[in-house]
Amino acid sequence: MLARSCLRSTRAVGAVRNGAVNTSKRAASTSSSEAASPFRLNMAGSAATAVAIGSMAWYYHLYGTELHAMTPTEEGLHPTKYPWEHAAWTKTFDHQALRRGFQVYQEVCSSCHSLSRIPYRSLVGVTHTVDEAKAMAEENEYDSEPNDEGEIEKRPGKLSDYLPSPYKNDEAARAANNGALPPDLSLIVKARHGGCDYIFSLLTGYPEEPPPGVKLPDGLNFNPYFPGTGIAMARVLYNDLVEYEDGTPASTSQMAKDVVEFLNWSAEPEMDQRKKMGLKVLAITSLLTALSIWVKRYKWSPIKTRKIVYVPPKMGGRPNGH
Amino acid sequence: MGIFDTFTDMLEAALPWGEARAEAAEAEEKDDEKDSGEDSKEEESKDDEPEEEEEEDEPETEDPKEKFEEECKESKQCSPAKHHFDECVERVTGADEGKPVDKKHPNEDCVEEFFHLAHCANQCAAPKLWAALK
Repeated sequence: MLARSCLRSTRAVGAVRNGAVNTSKRAASTSSSEAASPFRLNMAGSAATAVAIGSMAWYYHLYGTELHAMTPTEEGLHPTKYPWEHAAWTKTFDHQALRRGFQVYQEVCSSCHSLSRIPYRSLVGVTHTVDEAKAMAEENEYDSEPNDEGEIEKRPGKLSDYLPSPYKNDEAARAANNGALPPDLSLIVKARHGGCDYIFSLLTGYPEEPPPGVKLPDGLNFNPYFPGTGIAMARVLYNDLVEYEDGTPASTSQMAKDVVEFLNWSAEPEMDQRKKMGLKVLAITSLLTALSIWVKRYKWSPIKTRKIVYVPPKMGGRPNGH
Repeated sequence: MGIFDTFTDMLEAALPWGEARAEAAEAEEKDDEKDSGEDSKEEESKDDEPEEEEEEDEPETEDPKEKFEEECKESKQCSPAKHHFDECVERVTGADEGKPVDKKHPNEDCVEEFFHLAHCANQCAAPKLWAALK
């Protein structure tokens, strides 16, 4: 269809062009009655251009625009980028913040969220001393080996035990939380878009009251950062909820910042070492690169600086050898 | 950690005889022993601290984030967003109270306007907040 109409239009243009050629020939000799033909030529050109542009516009109108299946509400508010100290290339975690963050996790988050990939031993030297970590581990009971009668007794925790989970399994967790599963927090910073920024924003972003017109199902709370804005977790961090050992004022955002940094540590406990190793790698490889370049140039210098000269033999005093 | 610490760290990392501190019990036991010796001194210094803290604690801790964001919402930078949000609030709450409803958008909410305002306020408050937090 399109091809046929194109052909037709080219034929029309061709006819016009022939006409134009004819008229110009004739115009040279005769005073012509067809002086309007350049006008027809312009008209045809303009019409073809208009049709072309129009069809392109129509096509774009039909298929070109991007479709958004998501509303801003479904997308959620994107978290603000905060200048995290530990995110810099040459910076480590602030281990005092980690210690405070662990305190917040234990006193607040751990009533619903597990941290099942972190054993007490990994806290040693990071947030707590050995003795403190042992004491914390001993506060919990774990299954021990079966005794002589085959019964499994309980024993106090050891450094090698993992942090206890608040619920026996996911189903129990759902049943206790209105059907919503509180995710395990061990890798949560890596598991969410926006990482630290997202979790900090989520924890501190509960507004006093949802914006007017928002209708949420029962049991959900409004949080702009959560995709869909309806989150089962209610606001948990309030000013002075915990009392820090080091006397830091426990404002909501301070607690959120500390616990997020702690969760980032739990997701990437190797970060401090990784950055140290990375700097070593960069330093040593740049040194070796420089050295290898220098050695190459040194070894090649006789070849690069040599000059090949052809001295023609002198033949019997005749110039040019002829 | 300043820039000098960075260099010392790099140097330590590069030197093969760099000191590696064990995180084992021994070091801490030493610490404990030291602590027992220094207890009397620490107690003296601790005696001073709680009084100051109690005085400080009397007014409740204020969340710097809320404070900065309130300031930012009122600032000139966020005034267009705030204007739109306020207008939307008025419109939607007005509809609830029986004023004529906009027929094109009967179930309007102010989430989008709220997002824009919150985004602006957060963006403006973020550096101030980080300077205020520990």
